[in-house]
Amino acid sequence: MNKALTSLNTFFLILLFLSLIFSVFSVPKLNVDEQQSIKVNFYELSQQDDILFDSSIPNVTIKQETKKSSLTDKKIEPSEAAVVSKFKFNKSDIKNEISKIKLSKEREDILRISAIIQSRISSIWIKPNSLSESLITKVSINLAPSGEILNFKLIEPSSNNSFNESILTAMNKMTFLEDVKFLDRKLFEENFRNFNLVFKSSGEIE
Amino acid sequence: MIKFFFLVVFLVSNNIFSILEIEILKGSDNLSKVAFVPFGVEDGIEESYGGQISKFIEGNMLLFGEFENLDESEMLSYPSSESDFYYRDWKIQGVDYSLIGKVNSVNSLGNLNISYSLFNINRRIKILEGEIIGSENNLEGISKIISNRIYEQITGLKGIFDTKLAYVVNSDPETYQICISNIDGKNEQILFTSKAPIMSPDWSPDRKKIAYVSFENGLAEIFIQDLISGQRDSIQALGMTNSAPVWSPDGKSLALVVSFSGNPDIFLYSLNNKKLTRLTNHYGIDTEPSWSPDSKKIIFTSDRTGSPQLYEINTKSKRKKRLTRDGNYNARGRYFPDGKSIFFVHGNDGNFQIATKKLSSRYIETLTSTSLDESPAISPNGNIIIYATKDGTNGYLGGITLDGKSRFSLPVKNGSVREPAWSPLLN
Repeated sequence: MNKALTSLNTFFLILLFLSLIFSVFSVPKLNVDEQQSIKVNFYELSQQDDILFDSSIPNVTIKQETKKSSLTDKKIEPSEAAVVSKFKFNKSDIKNEISKIKLSKEREDILRISAIIQSRISSIWIKPNSLSESLITKVSINLAPSGEILNFKLIEPSSNNSFNESILTAMNKMTFLEDVKFLDRKLFEENFRNFNLVFKSSGEIE
Repeated sequence: MIKFFFLVVFLVSNNIFSILEIEILKGSDNLSKVAFVPFGVEDGIEESYGGQISKFIEGNMLLFGEFENLDESEMLSYPSSESDFYYRDWKIQGVDYSLIGKVNSVNSLGNLNISYSLFNINRRIKILEGEIIGSENNLEGISKIISNRIYEQITGLKGIFDTKLAYVVNSDPETYQICISNIDGKNEQILFTSKAPIMSPDWSPDRKKIAYVSFENGLAEIFIQDLISGQRDSIQALGMTNSAPVWSPDGKSLALVVSFSGNPDIFLYSLNNKKLTRLTNHYGIDTEPSWSPDSKKIIFTSDRTGSPQLYEINTKSKRKKRLTRDGNYNARGRYFPDGKSIFFVHGNDGNFQIATKKLSSRYIETLTSTSLDESPAISPNGNIIIYATKDGTNGYLGGITLDGKSRFSLPVKNGSVREPAWSPLLN
């Protein structure tokens, strides 16, 4: 019996190991068209501002939220693009590079639109004083391709009622996020049809 | 097999159920815009009452620069009941909240029934309604109660419009006065006038008494003055000099500084049995004690390491902990009402500014930008810090909201105003 259990455990361990390997290796193939999450945090977006003005440099950093694959931070250095143009690779390499560039272009679009949405919401959200309390509220949003906000819902309210109310008030002020209408339709459906806004407060005293 | 199944579900779900998340950390620098519509008045009542009440409320709400208002002349309508209220009239003016109300008569003795409603224009809902019965001679008091409720509804913080300030006025080198007033500077009362310095006023938690230091007999001596009867009593604790009294949150004892043979240390003084208990015993100067909201700890300033720094001591175990390390001057510490952070005077290159620090963090943050700030006091709801500062030679009370959006100075009369103490909330 014990032997059977040990071998079963070993089997699970191997399975776990294999699935980890699988998830790591499957990442580059994870096109944005799979339902993956891209968590855009504030600091990345402030870096991203430079890129918005100079889109010729595809220096994009995207943090993916797939928990098992923390290795998914993807950087394409400007020099890398230069290398591609300088040297001839075989066909599959070129294909790979093209898909990489396409991928980074899509991610850049997602980041750009996310940054716009972030700054538009920030500009109307009147954040209440929460003293030293750390608060997080998650809102789910449904958008029409025109950018119209079809509906929104507090999916994870914080413990502070006035914090939640301030977010509902801000969301009610916003009726359109029209910037998404310039997005590729596929990209829109995959990322902006339904997404979450995470409102955070670390308290007034940092 | 079940384990395996869960494992697979877990791995797969990680990929399938995650969607784009955008973090919002920063809020807007704008203020909420509130329309204070003149209250309607029932026939037979003095017509100006309606306008007076809404003006009083508006004055309160704008006092600390936390809101902006819609000017009465720009209002498209003056509804006084919900049936006349149209959200679109306010939405197009960019109003966030709208307050309406009505004054009705209760009886011929001048008692009024004042009803009011507050609307959130963006959400298109009524968020507050209420009624108050009061005398026509007390419109200002009634307005304070309504202001508190509105403030609490919008901000989630307690309203502080019926709190008071105590402070020391030094109008000329030989005149010291201890005064109390409403927070808008109105209704000032002089409690005591002396030719010798007066310092460190502090409110009892029930708001009925004030403790302060007076040099009228040549040495620093602590007096407790009853605000109703005006009676003053010296606490006559032992030691050469007594100073810096602060009431414990339960009102039963004072933390104070007693100096035996010139060395100041922190003591507790029980008001019931007049017993003095030593808390610190060090050859350095220990001063400026203040209680934590849970009464378990006392923060104080000490120069035991060579420069003034803040420490806290557990009143039971007497265990001490150093709280500040940045710079060579950190003094007059006070806890925030939630007990998780402190604020104090931080000196840096000859500038003295008000700073805050989370107890769990290493970093301090300066709040003010003036250079000679001293004796900060916090509003009982924890949202506003006032402090004494100088404009040339004239001392005045400056204030700042914690989010830094609003800075203001409090209206005060002539003379240097120092050492503000904010009264607790009325229970």
